[in-house]
Amino acid sequence: MAAEKEGFVDIELKVFEEEYVKPVHKVGFWTCIGVSLGMFLPPILLYLLYGTFAPWEAIGAGMALALTYAVPFFFIEPISYYPVYGDAGNYMSMTTGNVSNLRLPCAAVAQAVAGVPEGTRKGAAIAAIGIAVSVLVGVIGVFLGTLTGGWVTAQFPSWLTEAFKAYLLPAIWGAVFGQFALRGPIYALPALIIAGIPLMLGWKAYFTIPIAVFGTILFGYALYKWRGIAPGGGGD
Amino acid sequence: MDWKIIANAPWIWICGFIQAGIGMFQAWYFLRLGSRILQKHGGYKQEDISAIARGALITAIGPIMAEIFVMMALVISISPGYTWQREGVGVGSVFTELVQASNSAIGAGQEFGTDSFNMVGFATAIFVANISCIGWSLGAAFFTPYLGKAREKIAGGDIRFLGVVTICSTLGIFGYYAANNMKAGGGKLVAVVAGGVISAFLFKLAEWINKPRLKEWALGIAMFAGMYIAHLFAGAT
Repeated sequence: MAAEKEGFVDIELKVFEEEYVKPVHKVGFWTCIGVSLGMFLPPILLYLLYGTFAPWEAIGAGMALALTYAVPFFFIEPISYYPVYGDAGNYMSMTTGNVSNLRLPCAAVAQAVAGVPEGTRKGAAIAAIGIAVSVLVGVIGVFLGTLTGGWVTAQFPSWLTEAFKAYLLPAIWGAVFGQFALRGPIYALPALIIAGIPLMLGWKAYFTIPIAVFGTILFGYALYKWRGIAPGGGGD
Repeated sequence: MDWKIIANAPWIWICGFIQAGIGMFQAWYFLRLGSRILQKHGGYKQEDISAIARGALITAIGPIMAEIFVMMALVISISPGYTWQREGVGVGSVFTELVQASNSAIGAGQEFGTDSFNMVGFATAIFVANISCIGWSLGAAFFTPYLGKAREKIAGGDIRFLGVVTICSTLGIFGYYAANNMKAGGGKLVAVVAGGVISAFLFKLAEWINKPRLKEWALGIAMFAGMYIAHLFAGAT
């Protein structure tokens, strides 16, 4: 493994822009457009093949409920997650979903394996590799899961199935938090407190997540500006 | 024709394959692009890229298995074909899909997962679930270049401050999810704490004993161990 921590040298900006960022935006744009157009295919085919289209009043009511839930996240998720995974990571994550439970942990572990400093160009390319692997494995896993129609999961003892459903996600979130707490220990407790206060007040996720993210960034900014404190590997 | 047969007919599987094909092409292209620039201009060798990919693969196993377990609710309530179309390259997680299917059913005056859910509910679900999540993919298509520019502007090209932004935003995101589960108490609290302590310990251990390969396994081990410890705790109380 490249010894990144010692004398870290990032990829030259101009080369990175030309050979990586430009093709990322080109392919990212068109694949996202393709996926968006593909979303129209099922309702259109259902109508063309079976003559069935949902009543407009049902669509209106369903969409109103669905968008109330989804719209805040259209904005919050990319803005909050972008600093971690960069351009390619954003295209993939917004196309394939499962960001906090799958894409971000894979991006984080990929960067940890490489030992690359945060916020660098190499870090963005490495996060993209981690996320791409999670997409490829995820699609195959989901396909096999749906094809076997529950046969595989039925082979597991019930306690394991229940443990997966109840505790795997909290354990993932704790694990990634633990990993990053090591990289910036001074921010860990404040991050929990900043997220914890609105949670205790019972505020909605679409208020609490931006408060948690931007509140912690603000805390980091204050420490950096007034005390000169920054994570060890950040290019210093 | 019974709506459950239509919901699992070839047309919906084909829709899923088209979506999955685009998603897999995108991922394959970015994987190739990332590994090429790292090898050409970043001093990385093929084995370094393999180690990075291996770490991501190990970490992905647990969340994908958890997704498959939860996904069975969609398989049973609607159909395997619908689940494949929505989850193959679904923009939403399974949780989002379940919420959207429930919202669609309410819109159609039905209840998702019960006998009242019929062809009208299914047609509504397929419209609402697909169209309501276009905001994510369209937003990414049009606004991703501006996210990078905004971040550069905030940090003013200062690489040390970019590091602060990255670590703080990650701790902010996962601090929210961790705090939310800690608030629930019981096994969830134990899972968060155990996952966090084990992960931190394993990453540190990899440095102490100079075994960087342990980092590839650290998150994977921590999440399963955290889950198991939480299960033991919940069983004991």
